[in-house]
Amino acid sequence: MDAYTTNEPIYALATPYAPSAIAIVRTSGDGVINLIANVFSRKEKLIKAKSNTLVHGCLVDQAGDSVDEVVLAVYREGHGYTGEEAIEINAHGSLTGLKRIFSLLESIGIKQAKKGEFTYRAFMHGRLDLTQAEAVEELISSKSVRGQASALERLEGGLKSRLLKIKSSLVEMLASLEVQLDYAEDEILEDWVMPREEINNIIKALEEMIRTYSAGTIYREGAKIVLAGSTNAGKSSLFNLLTKEDRAIVSPIAGTTRDYIEAYTTIMDIPVRLFDTAGLRDSDDVIESEGIKRSERLIDESDLVILLISPGEEEHITWKTKTIVVKSKNDLEKRDGLAISTLSGEGIGALIERIHEELLNGCDNSESGAISIDSERQRDLLVKLVEMLRFILSNENESVDIMALFFQSALSILGEITGEVTNEEILDTLFSKFCLGK
Amino acid sequence: MRDYDIIVIGGGHAGIEAASAAARQGFDTLMITQSLDAIGRLSCNPAIGGLAKGNLVREIDALGGVMGHLIDDTFIQFRILNKRRGPAVQAPRAQADKFSYSRLAKETLEKTPHLSLFMDTVTNLLIENGKCIGVVTERGWNISAKAVVLTTGTFMNGRIFIGEYDAPCGRLGEMAAIGLGDNLRRLGFTVGRMKTGTPARVRKSSLDFDELEIQDGDEEIIPFSFENEEIIRAQLPCYVTWTNDETHKIIRDNIHRSPLYGGKIVGKGPRYCPSIEDKVVRFPERERHQIFVEPEGNGTEEMYLNGLSSSLPEEVQHKFIRTLPGLRHCEIMRPAYAVEYDYLDPTGLYPSLESKLLENLFVAGQTNGTSGYEEAAAQGLMAGINAALKLRGEEPLVLKRTEAYIGVLIDDLVTKGTKEPYRMFTSRAEYRLSLRHDNADLRLTRLAYEKHSASLERLERLNDKIQKMDMLKSVIKSYKERGKNGLDLLKEPEVDMAYLESRVDKIKDFSLSVKREVELDIKYAGYLKRQETEASKFDRSEKILIPEDINYDAIDGLSSESREKFKLIKPTNVGQAMRISGVRVSDVALLMMYIKTRSQNGFTT
Repeated sequence: MDAYTTNEPIYALATPYAPSAIAIVRTSGDGVINLIANVFSRKEKLIKAKSNTLVHGCLVDQAGDSVDEVVLAVYREGHGYTGEEAIEINAHGSLTGLKRIFSLLESIGIKQAKKGEFTYRAFMHGRLDLTQAEAVEELISSKSVRGQASALERLEGGLKSRLLKIKSSLVEMLASLEVQLDYAEDEILEDWVMPREEINNIIKALEEMIRTYSAGTIYREGAKIVLAGSTNAGKSSLFNLLTKEDRAIVSPIAGTTRDYIEAYTTIMDIPVRLFDTAGLRDSDDVIESEGIKRSERLIDESDLVILLISPGEEEHITWKTKTIVVKSKNDLEKRDGLAISTLSGEGIGALIERIHEELLNGCDNSESGAISIDSERQRDLLVKLVEMLRFILSNENESVDIMALFFQSALSILGEITGEVTNEEILDTLFSKFCLGK
Repeated sequence: MRDYDIIVIGGGHAGIEAASAAARQGFDTLMITQSLDAIGRLSCNPAIGGLAKGNLVREIDALGGVMGHLIDDTFIQFRILNKRRGPAVQAPRAQADKFSYSRLAKETLEKTPHLSLFMDTVTNLLIENGKCIGVVTERGWNISAKAVVLTTGTFMNGRIFIGEYDAPCGRLGEMAAIGLGDNLRRLGFTVGRMKTGTPARVRKSSLDFDELEIQDGDEEIIPFSFENEEIIRAQLPCYVTWTNDETHKIIRDNIHRSPLYGGKIVGKGPRYCPSIEDKVVRFPERERHQIFVEPEGNGTEEMYLNGLSSSLPEEVQHKFIRTLPGLRHCEIMRPAYAVEYDYLDPTGLYPSLESKLLENLFVAGQTNGTSGYEEAAAQGLMAGINAALKLRGEEPLVLKRTEAYIGVLIDDLVTKGTKEPYRMFTSRAEYRLSLRHDNADLRLTRLAYEKHSASLERLERLNDKIQKMDMLKSVIKSYKERGKNGLDLLKEPEVDMAYLESRVDKIKDFSLSVKREVELDIKYAGYLKRQETEASKFDRSEKILIPEDINYDAIDGLSSESREKFKLIKPTNVGQAMRISGVRVSDVALLMMYIKTRSQNGFTT
């Protein structure tokens, strides 16, 4: 079982997974300072750093390339949030940059934390400023997200079935090794032969998946959504509601928003850049008409448009971008279809679900993979799996007992996505495939 | 009749180890068996050891048990299996002389101080205040004891099947133990049915040996017991033959007459050791199945047909057996048969093998749903040791998955239970590279000495071996070639101990077992180190004990599924809790936090 642990090096993003100026990645566990020092430009400085101090420098990858310029907050054992040795990485908040940091941390043996694991550790180390209730709540809420094989559940259909297929081939390979260890050579007469072709096919399939992970779809970078509609259709009110901020100036006067403004938010875990545009109408006001032109350009570049229609107004779409038509100001006049009221909140939930659905429909899901921080981790795991399989291919002459170890490692890498492979599962496969027993 | 400290019910492989382990600790022990003549019988194959099983035997020996000595003194063929498949998973197997084995087992028990033997059948347990205080026998004895070890094997409500024939037996011709199973059911034990089978025995002088392939034993013999340095003995060969189309046709034509397929047998049989009809039905594409013809001993003509277990009617057996080359004219002396028997759900036990339901009752062997002499003996030994430790008021000896196959065996049984007769496999052991047969003494003997099971003599022998190993390592280290020392050379795949021995004379002075041990330790050092890291991670959660009186209903937020499972299995530590199937990671975390809170509030943990 992949259990909640204490003291093993883990990391997690402490700020929302969305583009922002600064992001904080927390790490905790025995040896994190030394581990990170190995990929830090000022190694000695970091190793010698006192507790509760800041160290400025660059994270560099194995190849020596700079990953990000960061400020590290160093906590010696007994001082940080968890009570363990810890480093908080203050990094730049671009998603691509963050992903590189995660990969870097994984590569030096720091694992992604489970939900609530930091709080759990803080509790276990007697950081008494925490109530148990807080930690318990996190753990309970994590069940829906982090149950067994949940990572698998969140995978899109096509990817999931391909991974399961690879898993069952690897399980069969391991079973064909185990049978040699569980039964004597006088019972299993054939020697084990490396299934080269099959392994090569798996590598090929994995590499293809890795490429699609890297394809950089809108989902990995987040989606661009534009609010459109005639002036005073309620775009800014909706904008504020979706971003949970009062950024756009709202007034009952048509044409209040002259240029566009943007904000980052998430719609059901999908990072979204939301744009509030100037209302689309002919205007004599030079500034406002320039704003409208820009809005049109923005719509062309966006992934989804939410077109707000005021009571009594006709639908009028002149662009190709996918559009959700929403009847706004439903508090003033009830109409059929997707209708909202930013005043009462009516219909907002339905709209959010609809946006989520449309974004998912927008691409070939089987190719794009999951839309969470997990997907990057999964990609890294697949890369690791390919490396392990190549390693296996190049160590053909190892004895069967050691070869079985290699396959176990391969399966445990894959197991982080597909769920653990148990001894029973191997034995079941073994008994169903081989006629045994003298 | 006087009363005893410990009563052991049953004289099979579990009973032998349990009784001698209890008596070794100085407790007055009584073994009650249905037949004194049947002590230590090898009911099925005439062999001890094998992959993973051989490791069990050597662990039993390292812990002070008797099985290693019994087989060393009575084997008629010895082999190390899987020589080509990596040293870490090799294991010894020996063909036993069945009659000598059984006779020696009885003699060994008779010579054990503090141990009495008595022939009767136990029909019920004596209970007072929820504790087991003795047994009731068929002939009317009430015998009291402070602890009872139950090792009934296939005898509790045993029933044998040969085609349409069935009879209440534990072995062919031996009465089943009737009554105890029903009484245990009444007491609230979860009793189930399991099935196993054994092949026919044929007469040696009726075989056509020119049609059989010969399978000889190894020249080099590694004794099972760490107390034996060297064994030199003449060996008997085994033989190999194959089934064919005709055999399979006869079986298929008569499959409806098998009690297994006709639905008469409800118990679950082992997938790893299927009957020949199972093999033919499940693997129709197989043109032939390998059959081993093994001698049952020196003074007997009976030969065991390994791989041909069956429950088909006798006349069908006669027909299909005589289709095999070498067996075409054979005389069948005993038929193959299936046996179905009561077993107790092992999740009803603590890792000490003590019953959760009835204090002072320990259960071991096939009664716990296992199969195999070695599996039975291993549990019997642990039950005997732990019954004695309980009387001493000491903590039970619970072996970890990281330190012994026995630990894996018992942990699997009490944590997960079993749906078919449980057999040990190397693939069940996560740390098998470290659980080699040759280092069982290094892993276990000191522990056994501390728990009063292994003698001082054994401990001294171990210390001597460790010292010799260190000496040999320094001898090897001082040898230089190509700018490398001997230890580094030995890590290279082409270099082995024999090569070094040809270069360094002093190596000859060391015993084979010391040389082998050092060679494997060094060759596998990298992998062993990795496994050690894994093992220490594993041990950490084993060390977090769960208080016995824990109230799972008081833990906020546990999923109801995990809560029920925790209540049922009553895990003794967090590691065990994690291994219960279907328990969620986050529930284990909640459990740990709850334990932590309790200890902070001054409760005992």
